[in-house]
Amino acid sequence: MLPGIEPLNPLLFLPAQKLTLGCPVLDRLLRGGLPVGSVTEIAGESAAGKTQLCLQLLLAALLPPSRGGLSAASLFIHSEFPFPIRRLHALSSSSSAADPLGHIFVAAAHSPDDLLSLLATADGLLARPPTHLPVRLIVVDSIAALFRSDFDNNPKDLKKRSFLFFKIAAKLKEQARRFGSVVVVTNQVVDVVGSEEGANGQRVGNYASLWSSGRRVCPALGLSWANCVNTRLFLSRKDEVADDAGSSRTRRWMQVVFAPHLPEACCEFVIVREGVSGIELQSRRTMIAGLATSKSLAMTSLDLTSIAL
Amino acid sequence: MSETSRFRSLEGGHGALKGAQTAWDMLSEEQMQKHITTGCEELDAILGGGIHCKEVTEVGGVPGIGKTQLGIQLAVNVQIPVECGGLGGKAIYIDTEGSFMVERAHQIAEGCISDLLDNTAHRLKDFPACPEILQPNSFLANIFYFRICSYTEQIATINYLEKFLEEQKDVKIIVVDSITFHFRQDFDDLALRTRVLGGMSLKLMRFAKKYSLAVVLLNQVTTKFVEGSFHLTLALGDTWSHACTNRIILYWNGNDRHAYIDKSPSLRSATAPFLITGKGIRNATSHCKRVRMM
Repeated sequence: MLPGIEPLNPLLFLPAQKLTLGCPVLDRLLRGGLPVGSVTEIAGESAAGKTQLCLQLLLAALLPPSRGGLSAASLFIHSEFPFPIRRLHALSSSSSAADPLGHIFVAAAHSPDDLLSLLATADGLLARPPTHLPVRLIVVDSIAALFRSDFDNNPKDLKKRSFLFFKIAAKLKEQARRFGSVVVVTNQVVDVVGSEEGANGQRVGNYASLWSSGRRVCPALGLSWANCVNTRLFLSRKDEVADDAGSSRTRRWMQVVFAPHLPEACCEFVIVREGVSGIELQSRRTMIAGLATSKSLAMTSLDLTSIAL
Repeated sequence: MSETSRFRSLEGGHGALKGAQTAWDMLSEEQMQKHITTGCEELDAILGGGIHCKEVTEVGGVPGIGKTQLGIQLAVNVQIPVECGGLGGKAIYIDTEGSFMVERAHQIAEGCISDLLDNTAHRLKDFPACPEILQPNSFLANIFYFRICSYTEQIATINYLEKFLEEQKDVKIIVVDSITFHFRQDFDDLALRTRVLGGMSLKLMRFAKKYSLAVVLLNQVTTKFVEGSFHLTLALGDTWSHACTNRIILYWNGNDRHAYIDKSPSLRSATAPFLITGKGIRNATSHCKRVRMM
């Protein structure tokens, strides 16, 4: 037997470790939360709730496993500015952990090479955590912003960009595996124009089309990047005029676009002061009405029992 | 079985052609070729019974179409006891992307076992060992799992399998999920990449033939802009096109998952619908009209 290579018994990985989203309804959608050792992408338009959810995860990581946490510190790499320190501070006031902000490490990345060098440095942080808690959550918010300016739409640049996707993804997956971490990467969306034949028209995952704010969209960075993540979650929103006083409200949904361990599923949620919170299924009729108007599901293949369960 | 019949015909005077077989021997060997069911009858049918042992099958498709689901299903189905019409073998699962979720494998094993118990209830009285063997945890324990984090680890692991397969004769399937992920980064030396991939595929083909097992290589797809439109092609396709005996593409047909035989020495091109259920890969229930909501 060569040193270092040994087959493992899959039973060693049961029970599967998950990181709670801080809400039992959303956790049920994801069968416990975000999996350890895996890269989960959260895609959505601006103000869909991606960063909000990430902040919630940073605090959830500090919880003990008995409460769905990892008893761990986090690394938050942001490419969008400024870092929402005030929001994080507000959320942290309700955290039961001692000194939550002292266990969240924040770094800024301005380019793909920045990210790669940060991740290389992170190996040290992961292997020798500066506080008494191991670092077991890595968040990259967002991957799309890193690739906005440097690359044009010609085949050569797209190829170069694609190489970087796989290099970044391989590094993140290696860290997820070696350090038993949860890795979350947020992604933006782009409009889908034209027919199914376009590069962005290729169906990826459980839904023929994804909608947000009345527009048909798809996660940015194309099929290449889609091949780099294990799980893709999509956050959508729709501003609706409420029936009574003519006031508008924002409705939000989280959908499982693809995941090796989850069926197609969708859940409505709200963002309140305490954070992101899933809505328990009150009545199927209301839910379907909301989904039909947001056109966010392929209705004919809907398995109702999987919604918000 | 097929090995001894080959030697018998050699004894019958073909000594000068050491290792050669008559065409009849080859035909009977092919007819006795073992298959691993995919869990979907229509898919098995277009595959000529299931995934073939002694052959390398590539399975390609977009993210979320079900490649990993099929990989896990096969790693479970290879273990269906001989008494229930299966191979009673073990599986090697080489996970290069972190897609293998044990909880899902457990669910799929449960689904396989529950279907076996439903279908073969009448035969179970002849199968006293049944309760111990037909447990999801036993199925999981029979999957030799390797998690790969780089292309060098991938090469080393496949080399390691040489010795491993000598000692573990029960292994009847090797699943690599996925084969090209770690090769899609920038390589300074593209010729090296081609040599490495080529060498890996030849090695896996040798394992398939030598140990009479199935090799299933899951592959990603990429888009190529050809003649004014986008086409889906398998990642690093040029390097692999010659190395696999069979190729299956999983794709979306509207809201339905389908598979089609893209390459096979013996099967004609055909397509089959399939479903991914809580229990795993199953037949598409085409007779059941989908419920229209609102």
